[in-house]
Amino acid sequence: MKLQKMLLTIAVGYLILKFGVPLVGSWLHPGAWPVIPTSVMKMYMTFVIVGSVLVYTFDEEGYRQIVGPILDLYGDPGKVKYCYAATLAVALLGAWVAYEYVKPTFDAPVELRSVHPAPPSSVKMWGKSYNLATLENPLRADKENFAKNSEEGGVVYYQNCFYCHGDLMDGKGHFATGFNNPLPANFVDVGTIAQLTESFVFWRIGSGGPGLPGEGAPWLSPMPIWHTLLSEDEVWKVILFLYDYTGHSPRVTEKHEG
Amino acid sequence: MTTAQATKRTMGAALLLAVSLALALVPTAAEAAPGDTANGKVLYEKKCWWCHGKTGEADGPAANFVIPPPRDFSLGVYKYKGSEPKAEVVRDEDLFRMISDGMPGTSMPAWKSVLSDKDRWDLVAYIKTLTDMFEGTPNPAPIDLSGKIASSEESISLGAKAYEAAKCFECHGVRGKGDTIKKLKEDSGKRVWPRNLTKQWTFRAGSTVEDIYTRVTNGIPNTPMPSFYSEKTGEGKLSTEDRWHVANYIKSLEETQKAPKDGETVVKGMYVAELPKSEKDEIWNEATGVAFNLVPQIIAKERFFIPANDLIYVKAMFNEKEVAFLLEWDDRSKSVPGDPVAEGIAWDTLTPDGVAVQTSVVIPTAGEKPYFGHGDASHTVSMLYWTAGSVETGPKEMIMSANGIAAREPGDAKAAGFTTSASYEMGTWKVMMKRSLATANKEKETQFEAGRYIPIAFANWDGSNGESGSKHTMTTWVWLLLKPDTGSEVVVIPGVILILLVGGQLAMAALLRKKKS
Ligand code: HEC
Ligand code: HEC
Repeated sequence: MKLQKMLLTIAVGYLILKFGVPLVGSWLHPGAWPVIPTSVMKMYMTFVIVGSVLVYTFDEEGYRQIVGPILDLYGDPGKVKYCYAATLAVALLGAWVAYEYVKPTFDAPVELRSVHPAPPSSVKMWGKSYNLATLENPLRADKENFAKNSEEGGVVYYQNCFYCHGDLMDGKGHFATGFNNPLPANFVDVGTIAQLTESFVFWRIGSGGPGLPGEGAPWLSPMPIWHTLLSEDEVWKVILFLYDYTGHSPRVTEKHEG
Repeated sequence: MTTAQATKRTMGAALLLAVSLALALVPTAAEAAPGDTANGKVLYEKKCWWCHGKTGEADGPAANFVIPPPRDFSLGVYKYKGSEPKAEVVRDEDLFRMISDGMPGTSMPAWKSVLSDKDRWDLVAYIKTLTDMFEGTPNPAPIDLSGKIASSEESISLGAKAYEAAKCFECHGVRGKGDTIKKLKEDSGKRVWPRNLTKQWTFRAGSTVEDIYTRVTNGIPNTPMPSFYSEKTGEGKLSTEDRWHVANYIKSLEETQKAPKDGETVVKGMYVAELPKSEKDEIWNEATGVAFNLVPQIIAKERFFIPANDLIYVKAMFNEKEVAFLLEWDDRSKSVPGDPVAEGIAWDTLTPDGVAVQTSVVIPTAGEKPYFGHGDASHTVSMLYWTAGSVETGPKEMIMSANGIAAREPGDAKAAGFTTSASYEMGTWKVMMKRSLATANKEKETQFEAGRYIPIAFANWDGSNGESGSKHTMTTWVWLLLKPDTGSEVVVIPGVILILLVGGQLAMAALLRKKKS
């Protein structure tokens, strides 16, 4: 009984890793099917197998229930046929696992990067120093010119950003296909600007990919250093536009919440 | 906290709704509805004007930054017409389809993911009010597709003949690569490139045989792509049968193996004892190629937005001494300044075609790489560059290193054993680059090592599109893996394990049985 349960647990673990994880991923990020890379999969499966064996053979009774049928299968002269079948199955499985390890593959190495690394306390752009903890969008308070400022931000977006971030703001612009890791940010997604303060977005736009700290893998992000290409005013306007168009609201810093 | 919960709940509700909708609406053919122009206008002014302009005259802020340019709705002339051939205007269903599905290979996105069916019909109704072309014109009948001829070897070969007779090759090239011999413009005077018929994922309005038949029959209004329909067959026209045959033929030209595949980021370096002698060497057929999308350089000044080439196909081979790359890309023309055909097609000043391979000098172990755009102060990149040169000088190669865009340095190609050979044939460039695995200049040149993941990137210049300097297309970092020859190990190791496991288990069984008895 326990033996079957253990094998079932391992099978279920495999199915969850193989299909469950991408399923959850595709639900969180529509259109994606994020499979676990093979090398990581091998590691997780080792944990699943070792873990299951440990748990199920933890007590004396469990040990007997698992090992008993195996000893019985191999040792019972009446079950020789089954014994040969099991021998062959186990040997083939072992050979297959070994083949999986030595066969020539071209799987890309796994690269981990922090998507929203902690911002520095201050940044220098346009010859000025900004304190990111207190910085606010100066245009947000100007209710009267909101529509005009947002539209001007839209013009900035459609002349500079939409190639990668897309007309639909989903990170799938017509040039996004040239990038693999990271993909351009999807602004509609609840995991990007909806979680961030405007000062964070200001820092990310202004200093671009190369302005990321080490854990953000600055050598990978193709995001341009916008303070060299746009004015400060244009950056605040495009931020206004991003929130306006997507309907998200910026996160406010804690002190305002209190 | 509360927002997060609320978001989660909304997302849950949205998913439930989506699922039930999907179940309820097993795709019914979209039906033309009159459409609410007021709602269409509101949507248009939020979503569409950025490209198509406030009054629909294709003069939005993005208009000059995209190729092809956005449609001018004030003219009422649409490119992708599914009406019967004699009709003057497109069908509402055509507009609905283009808005819903978008146009691959252009900046026009598929709006069905963000706008409801009703919203899209309202937009159709609204954009029709921006011109008087539709006034008093009922929605035309659709094109007749009932005469479809099933694809067969015979139909395809008849199609190939029709392709020649109708002179499709003058614009689309003999192999359909879009290597035109004419300088083509839209009616507006803007440049238009003929489609590469082997890359059917870039077809704007679908790539089924029916879609292709429709294009051949109706042409693409507003562009040089003619209609081949005529009530009587005549000069430059094709019979209904021939149009089906040519559609079957075009479908057979598709090269799906050269389409970029999602997540494929490793150039597969193959071990061979003897490297190919040139780009044409048959040995190359044994290597597996990988396709990468090329996008224009829009990061550093001077930025570039209107590319022509969109893909590079890469193979690599190596032995104990050298590495060889085969760089293959479809190109509208062989751009060599001084060449009369190329000069005739060039839009701006004709510049030479070119290609470059960039690799990281230090092979990273912990993920840290040079900045992908020419490296940075603390990380050097090495570059192998080939240019078509000019008619007088012939092609040239150069080896360079860089520590940032402004810090480029020439190297010694001879010392690095860097050689190239190249040819252009029927719309495709093939350039082979060869280099010694190890070189003397270890500070500035990559020392290629088998079994290591080496960051690699590509750049391409299309001369007939006026590309030079920072105006070019490129990829960001991908990987090069020179896979050591695994030889017999692939068979031997699993084999040994198999034998050990069989032997071990049999021994165990024998022991157990002995114990029992
Ligand atoms: C980012 C720019 C952009 C935006 C935003 C955009 N379009 Fe387009 N659209 C284009 C381009 C570019 C073309 C022409 C492509 C071509 O000629 O191949 C086009 C073509 C079209 C066509 C013509 C199809 C044909 O058969 O000729 C229609 C209709 C259209 N767009 C509707 C819309 C609507 C409705 C919206 C808003 C919901 C919209 N577009 C938003 C760029 C855009
Ligand atoms: C005078 C030049 C010319 C000739 C001749 C010509 N084409 Fe084209 N064709 C074009 C151009 C230009 C385009 C692209 C138009 C655009 O993108 O706006 C095109 C586009 C196409 C497309 C793409 C449709 C899509 O949905 O993207 C197909 C298919 C095609 N042509 C087939 C043919 C066939 C088959 C023939 C001969 C029977 C032919 N063409 C003859 C110029 C030509």
